Amino acid sequence: MLTGQGINKRFGKVEALRGVNISVRPGKITLLVGPSGSGKTTLLKCLAFLERPDSGTVSFNGNSFSYPEAGMPEETPWPELTVVFQQHFLWPHLTIRENILLPVIKRKQTKSNGFEELVALFEMEDFIDRYPNQVSLGQRQRAALARALVLNPKVILLDEITSALDVEQIGKIAKHLLELRSRGIGMLLITHLLGFAKGLLHKGEGDEIVFLEKGEVLEAGGIEVLKSPRHSRVREFISQIEFTFASE
Amino acid sequence: MGIFDIIWQYKQAFWQGIKVTIKLASIVWSIGLVAGIILGVLSDRYRRTVGYSVFFISFLLSGIPILVILYWAHYPLQVLLNKVIDPFFTACAVLALVNTFAVTDLVRNIMANFPEQYAVAARVCGLKSRTIIWNIKMPIVLRQLIPGLLTSQVAILQATLFASLISVEEIFRVSQQINASVYKPVQIYTALALFFLLICLPLNGLALWLKAKFTRDLSER
Repeated sequence: MLTGQGINKRFGKVEALRGVNISVRPGKITLLVGPSGSGKTTLLKCLAFLERPDSGTVSFNGNSFSYPEAGMPEETPWPELTVVFQQHFLWPHLTIRENILLPVIKRKQTKSNGFEELVALFEMEDFIDRYPNQVSLGQRQRAALARALVLNPKVILLDEITSALDVEQIGKIAKHLLELRSRGIGMLLITHLLGFAKGLLHKGEGDEIVFLEKGEVLEAGGIEVLKSPRHSRVREFISQIEFTFASE
Repeated sequence: MGIFDIIWQYKQAFWQGIKVTIKLASIVWSIGLVAGIILGVLSDRYRRTVGYSVFFISFLLSGIPILVILYWAHYPLQVLLNKVIDPFFTACAVLALVNTFAVTDLVRNIMANFPEQYAVAARVCGLKSRTIIWNIKMPIVLRQLIPGLLTSQVAILQATLFASLISVEEIFRVSQQINASVYKPVQIYTALALFFLLICLPLNGLALWLKAKFTRDLSER
């Protein structure tokens, strides 16, 4: 389980996060929603131990780190806790296959971590031996997701992973995320595709939606936050997103 | 008398000149590459101390033509120090200095612009620091660095011609001397051009090929 309690983070005069509480539970999905610049990615980085919060506590697998005193965990939490970034960051000098397998080989994990299954699932056979710059954005996104999944993480943080995918691919990823959830993997998902999010959330109890604005949690709760938000700003934001995607 | 007749007739002198040029270039390349890479890495790691000092010297050097530095080291500096230094060593020192800072600049810029996100992606995949350096950082940095390095070393080879102006008996000076005695400028300087083409073209070609092969688009679009 991954939790963040009272997380504060400031960049100069900008308060990026203000007392944020959030949790990612095993086999559950936490959806993080909010406008650009609301602090979603900063929060994700704090939870992934990639950014030090100014204050607050981040706990993973029973180990708590209270800031500002805490340093980096001695036992690194990765890849049990891993991240798929919006920009993918596939290593450009390696093929897609090498990108996925390098961590597996270097960590001396066996190849049977579902590599073949992931290649088949994400239909990567045709481009598995190409370099990242030789494939499309959507293909890179699938590869980045496969690179994280092949490591069998317990908690996975997904930052806008569907931004470059077509409807069919989004459907496949949604199906796979549901399967991951059934295997007990906790997920934090940042997305603007509320339809995609609803598809994931309505089937699961205990899933959570957190609406963040200006570094503050405006509303948090179950699927009802998307269906009938209490906070007017959340209502406005959700209707705007639904309008935008409906017009597309 | 054709080009090859001239080369054949003065083969001893040409060979001597080529040997001096190659020796000079090899020394300058070796010192420049080793010292430049070390300084470049140090500049990136210790930006406030080494980085700024090196940047200042590099900036200063880039504003002075190599020929002026060479002359200054050959005449005024030796007068000031009251020493007479073999022109070959003066040329070595000056060109090595210029090459060192050129290489330092290249290395520092590429290291400073290394997209740190690739290392972050490696960390969240559970890779250790050593693996990240050897399998991620080094290959990416080297692929970006090598074409630029080759091009700069070709430029340094061409800059060895300046050494002739302080009486180093390298290929250009030898050609001038032969031309002074037989006056066949077309053949002699064509032979000289051929010599440089023979060395520089493959290096430039290699740089272009490496650039095309390795520096595709490292950024994610």
